[in-house]
Amino acid sequence: MKLTRRAMIKDGLLVVSAGMIMPAIFSRGVSSARAQALDGSRLAQSANNRTLIVVQMAGGNDGLNTVVPFTDPLYLKLRPTLGLSETQVLPLDTRLGLHPNLSPLKKLWDAGHLAIVEGVGYPNQSLSHFQAMDIWQTLDLNGNGSQGWLGKLVSGLVDQEGHPFKSIDIGVQTAQALQSISTQVPTIANVSTYRIYPDPADTDGGNARLQALMKLYNSYPGTAPYAALLDTTALSAQDGSNQLRQADATYHPAVTYPKGPFADGLKVLAEAIVQGLGLRVGYVTLGGFDTHANQKSTHDTLMLTLANGLSAFYNDLAAHGKADNVVVMTWSEFGRRVDENGSLGTDHGTAAPLFVLGNPVSKGIYGEPPSLSNLDQNGNLKYTLDFRSVYATVLDRWMGASSKDVLGGSFGTQNFLPQA
Amino acid sequence: MDIDTDMYGDDSTQPRKPIDPHPIEPQLEMDTTQKNLTAQPVPNTSFATGNPTTPLQSVTTPLTPTAAVSRRKFMGVSVAGLAAIGGASAAAAVGGVALAKLLQNGGPGNIFHGPVASNAQIGHLLRHAGFGGSPDELAMYSNLGYNGAVDRLINYQQVPDDAMESRLNALNIDLNSPLNQQRWWLLRMSWTQRPLLEKMTLFWHGVLTSSYHKVGGPRAYMRMIIQNQFLRNHAFDTFDNILLGITSDPAMLFYLDLTKSRSNAPNENYARELMELFTLGLGHYTQQDVYEGAAALTGWHVKGLTSQYYPQDHNELVKTYLGHTGNLDYKDVLNILANHPATPWFITRRLFTFFAYENPSDDDLKPLVDTYVQSGHNMGEVMRTLLLSPQFASTKAYRGRIKSPVEFTVGAYHAMNINGDGNGLPTITTLMGQTLFDPPNVAGWPGDKVSALWLNSGTWMTRLNYIDLLLARGTVARTGLTPLVDLQGIVNTHQLNTPEQFVDHFSSFLLDGELASDRRTQLLDYFTAPGSSTFGAPITLGNGTSYPLGRVRGTLYLMMSSPEYQLN
Repeated sequence: MKLTRRAMIKDGLLVVSAGMIMPAIFSRGVSSARAQALDGSRLAQSANNRTLIVVQMAGGNDGLNTVVPFTDPLYLKLRPTLGLSETQVLPLDTRLGLHPNLSPLKKLWDAGHLAIVEGVGYPNQSLSHFQAMDIWQTLDLNGNGSQGWLGKLVSGLVDQEGHPFKSIDIGVQTAQALQSISTQVPTIANVSTYRIYPDPADTDGGNARLQALMKLYNSYPGTAPYAALLDTTALSAQDGSNQLRQADATYHPAVTYPKGPFADGLKVLAEAIVQGLGLRVGYVTLGGFDTHANQKSTHDTLMLTLANGLSAFYNDLAAHGKADNVVVMTWSEFGRRVDENGSLGTDHGTAAPLFVLGNPVSKGIYGEPPSLSNLDQNGNLKYTLDFRSVYATVLDRWMGASSKDVLGGSFGTQNFLPQA
Repeated sequence: MDIDTDMYGDDSTQPRKPIDPHPIEPQLEMDTTQKNLTAQPVPNTSFATGNPTTPLQSVTTPLTPTAAVSRRKFMGVSVAGLAAIGGASAAAAVGGVALAKLLQNGGPGNIFHGPVASNAQIGHLLRHAGFGGSPDELAMYSNLGYNGAVDRLINYQQVPDDAMESRLNALNIDLNSPLNQQRWWLLRMSWTQRPLLEKMTLFWHGVLTSSYHKVGGPRAYMRMIIQNQFLRNHAFDTFDNILLGITSDPAMLFYLDLTKSRSNAPNENYARELMELFTLGLGHYTQQDVYEGAAALTGWHVKGLTSQYYPQDHNELVKTYLGHTGNLDYKDVLNILANHPATPWFITRRLFTFFAYENPSDDDLKPLVDTYVQSGHNMGEVMRTLLLSPQFASTKAYRGRIKSPVEFTVGAYHAMNINGDGNGLPTITTLMGQTLFDPPNVAGWPGDKVSALWLNSGTWMTRLNYIDLLLARGTVARTGLTPLVDLQGIVNTHQLNTPEQFVDHFSSFLLDGELASDRRTQLLDYFTAPGSSTFGAPITLGNGTSYPLGRVRGTLYLMMSSPEYQLN
């Protein structure tokens, strides 16, 4: 069944025409687009084909053992067993070096495609995973927000082709950063299961049954529980599954991706970019960073997984001529405590560095590594750069969006991306 | 002293995997007989021994402090004071709820009319306090009346469950594998005659949670089953006993690193999450309380499949924890927490949200909080208060949440009376967003709090495909498999004579018979549309008319894929 949907902007309203069916769903779509036009048009931007990939490092990554202040004597003093020595790190300059397992990222650095933003945090940082994750994703410093910053961005992106994949979240649950009232983010565990299977006994490949199902969703009363969620979910799924399947049939990665769900997810995002599915925001999560005990082996493995995955992703895009269109940024809800604990691990911390990579990125270290001698009352680093300034930079300088509207304020931009 | 008595080593922290639909099954050598399941996780304390067979009769006295410390008498605080303390900050702890508020409709008012337990009333009860009912079960619970049905669910020990145990035993499931553990529990939930006991165990698993990814390595996976049995045995016990048991639970000791905590080097992981996620919520403690609590909690260590308290590894310094000063130990910490005024608000908010609807008001929670205090923190009594409350019977609660993956998967399996071995079910719930024994993090599943988070394009299609699997793909002609659902048999047994009777029969227990007439017409139109099937014998109704197999089971697929069926 062909369900191509085209949308176009006309007199400030999003007018949707469909080859077939589902007037009620579309009328709800139009009404939500109308709300977008009022609220979101300022977020929307001139059409470009740029893509932002956001990598969440869940659990609180140990920033000090990721970008290592290896010449600071306090570092090894506070990290007697976990500290990485000068001979182990991959030096970036006279102060900082990368974790030894990040050599694929060091290559990108050497090629000029990696930026490191240091000391990223926010005032009165929470040591709670969940409040910190809420703050990073919804920008509400009390941790009570519901709409994600990327969700706001995506719902403001109006795509003349009506692509179902302007954003993709890899996994089984849509990240809070991508939550919005008006937009359903396709959430993909893997390509092979992202489809609706037909009953093999049906003679029409499942067409009639699927149409009957969509009619049940279409006629589900708008005032009934979860009506908007159910409608948009069904539509997003039906729209996207065919396109993704067709794209997948002709996609050939140019590199061999590492094994594992993180690289698998990056491969799906690369596929969406290479196959022109209209991807503007991709999201993938690597978890396991909450290293309270026996940190070394876990963190070593995670660094390797991160670097090998991102490297394969970059090389795949480069081989397909798409590397100029894609910027990747990482984030984690907090760094770890400066002094290691008694369990060969580290407890919850505050500020940490993050990575931005891609051909458009200006190589360098931005922000200031926090002092190891001037800690807060809990023994944690004092942040030197507000995370919203990093967001503002990718919004204003890369996505062409209005960071002021998305973030609800002005937080300044950094020079890891050139002025738009 | 040999503290590192963990016989399985410390290969604890596999990097967490956001997507792992096909976990690698390790080669295991451990004995898996039932006796492992009865291993005592708490060998060295007289606490946490609430009688598992009669939880509701054992109203446990709050713990007596062993340390001579001054402490407030929280029990004397007025109820109004409790309400004030529980309010806004407890709501803040839940977080991210506004979205669901916007998505959910429905208001106050009781959907249930008349004194007789209606189909919708019992269906609603069994879906929330279990995993839905078959036609026979609905009839049986209806005959008990609503209050009688609640009694039967809570007084589970009066209901024999031997048939379920026999069926499970017959499958000879090797419980040392995470996939098999999931399969074992999913089948247990599907086949049990004690649905609320399993549902309550699932609730606790989402709150006092641990993951097999960090439980001591592949040879220690059995610790997850030991924890699961603890939560089941004490599901309706006092919260004090539940906290004592989970604190000394081997899987939890490993998962939140308490086993690594030493008298001279306390690890703050468990101390923090115990307050933030298990008892108080954010805003009721300081980082200093985390430090001091960590010191007080030292002494517990994993020992194989059990745990042991080593007094000589307990930090003996004077601590000040949540306003209490003394040489506090774990018993004091848990006693302080179980009696803290924020605790009943926190835990009843989690309970109410899981079993009724999201964003409960303080007025909604107050009867539960009162029961908590008055019953000596008895969670079975709190549960009874909830199930008998007008809020539980309100339109806001009716179809008020998106079914969780486990509710959806087990519910369909149970309703269709599938007699399989459960292979494949764990992968299905994982693709829907929920892997038992492997929550995304220590906060459990976000969908337990905001059920809208369970649903997205990918998980929705997995729901559809699961229904398709149950109804259709098990009957692909060339595989020669026996159909999972014998539709002709059901038609014959229930003497379904017409398409209307077919739809109404399944609607009666899948949708409480609450199906608007225009939507019923859509299903009938699909059932009766002309057509044929590529294979398979047609289904012949009692009136002698035959319908193509694809149309008949397609109608059932539509019912179980419908918007209404996604809701609990």
